[in-house]
Amino acid sequence: MQLTGLRRTGVLLAIPGIALVLLLHWQVFFWVPTEVTMGVIQRIYYVHVPSAWVAFMAFGIVAACSAAYLWLGDERLDMAAVSAAEGGVLFTTIVLLTGPLWARTAWGTWWTWEPRLTSTLLLWFIYVGYLLLRGATDSPQRGKRFAAVLGILGILDIPLIHLSVTWFRSLHPQAVVMRPEGPQADPSMVITLLTGLAAFTLLFFAIMTYRYALERLTVERSTAFAGTPAPSVAGGGA
Amino acid sequence: MTAYLNQVRIIVWRDLTVELRSRERIAAMGGFAVLVAVLIYYAIDLTIVRPRDVAAGLIWMTILFSGMLGFGRAFAMDLEQDQLQGILLSPISRGAFYLGKTIANFALLTAVEALVFTVFGGFFNLSYGGTAWLIVAVVVATAGVAGLGTLLGAIAVHTRPSDSILPLLAFPLLIPLVIHAVMATGRLMAGRPPAEVGGNLRMLAAFAILFLAAGTVLFRYVVEE
Repeated sequence: MQLTGLRRTGVLLAIPGIALVLLLHWQVFFWVPTEVTMGVIQRIYYVHVPSAWVAFMAFGIVAACSAAYLWLGDERLDMAAVSAAEGGVLFTTIVLLTGPLWARTAWGTWWTWEPRLTSTLLLWFIYVGYLLLRGATDSPQRGKRFAAVLGILGILDIPLIHLSVTWFRSLHPQAVVMRPEGPQADPSMVITLLTGLAAFTLLFFAIMTYRYALERLTVERSTAFAGTPAPSVAGGGA
Repeated sequence: MTAYLNQVRIIVWRDLTVELRSRERIAAMGGFAVLVAVLIYYAIDLTIVRPRDVAAGLIWMTILFSGMLGFGRAFAMDLEQDQLQGILLSPISRGAFYLGKTIANFALLTAVEALVFTVFGGFFNLSYGGTAWLIVAVVVATAGVAGLGTLLGAIAVHTRPSDSILPLLAFPLLIPLVIHAVMATGRLMAGRPPAEVGGNLRMLAAFAILFLAAGTVLFRYVVEE
C-alpha cells in the first residue's frame, strides 16, 4: 500500500475509534448501572478488559508476522510486527495500570500474585525485551531477526506461563459475559463492554497503521539519503 | 542420523575441552555461586527463618544467576577468535551446532549445581531427602534452562549491552519454569513422596521440550549472517 493510502486507512480507523471511545465514556459514566457487589469501581472493567483483549491480539499478530518474516524475509512483515508489538506493549501497560486501581478497592491490595496478573506482567516484560532487542544490535537486519525469534518464543511460552501460574489458586473474577450459557450480566453492561472492545480494536489498528507508515518512511528516507537500510526506530539505541 | 549425532558430539567435545583447559567460565560461575551463598547467609536472619524452608528458592536463584553468567560467555569466545564463522562454514548443521552448545552448557551448569547443592548443604546444614527424584527434577529443569539460555546467549552476544540484556530476555520466559523447579526441589528436600511433584516434573519436561525444540528450529535465524 502507498503512504497516502496508509494515512487514509489510519484516519478511517481512527475517526470511528475515537467516536466509540467518547461513546464508551458516556456509557461508562452515565448509562451503565452500578454493579451490586463491587460498586462504582467495577466500571474500570470496561477499559481493562478491552485493553487485555487488544494486547493479546497484538501479540498474536507479532508472532504471526515474526514467523512469516523469518520464513519469507519480507521487510513489510517485520514492520507490521514491530508496529503491533508497540501497540501491544501500550495496551498491556493500560491493563497493568487499571488492574491495580480496581484491585485496591475490590481485593484491598494493589498487587497480588494472582495467575492472570503474573502472566500479564511476564508478557509485558517479554515484549518490552522484544522492543529493546531491536535497538540493541549494530546490524538492523540482525536486530529484526532476533526480535522475530523472541516474538515467536513469547507466544509459545504463553500457554505454559499461564498453566504454571494457575498452579496457585486463582482469585480473579470468573467470566460473566463469555459463557456457554449466555451472558449473566445486565444487557447494558454487555453493550458497554462490546463498545469498549470495538473502540479499542479500531484504535489499535489505527495506531498500528500509523506506526507502520512511520517505519516505512524512516526506512525509505534513509535508503534515499545514505543508500543503506535504516536502523529501526523502535527501542532507539537502548 | 549418525552423521548428525557425530556433529553434535564434535561440538560438545570441542566446547568441553576448551572449558577444561581454560576453566574460564566454570571458575566464574562456581566462584559467583559460592559468593552468592555467603551473601544469602548474611541476608537472612537465621533466628527468624529456618533455612530449609527457603533453601529451594535460594538454590534456584543462585543456579539461575550463575547460569546467566556462563551462557552469556558461551558464544563470546567463538566470536572473539572468529571461530563462529568457521563453524558456520563447516558442514556442521545449525541444529547440531545448537544441540552441541546446549549439551556443553548443560554439563557446565550441572557441575555448578553439584557445587551449589553441596555448598548450601554445608552452609545451612541441609539434608537432601529423596535424592534420586531430586536429581531427576534438577536435571530436567537444567535441560530447559540450558535450552533457552543457549538460544538467548547466541542472541545476546551479538548485541551491544550483551551481558545485561541476557537476563532481561531470559527471566520472563524462565520464571514459570522456576516455579516448578522450586516446588519440586523444596518438596523432595522435605522428604515428601515423589507422587506429590508429578505435575511439576511433567511441566518441567514440557518446558525442556519446548525450549529445546524451539531452539533447534530458530537457532539458524540467530547465527545467520
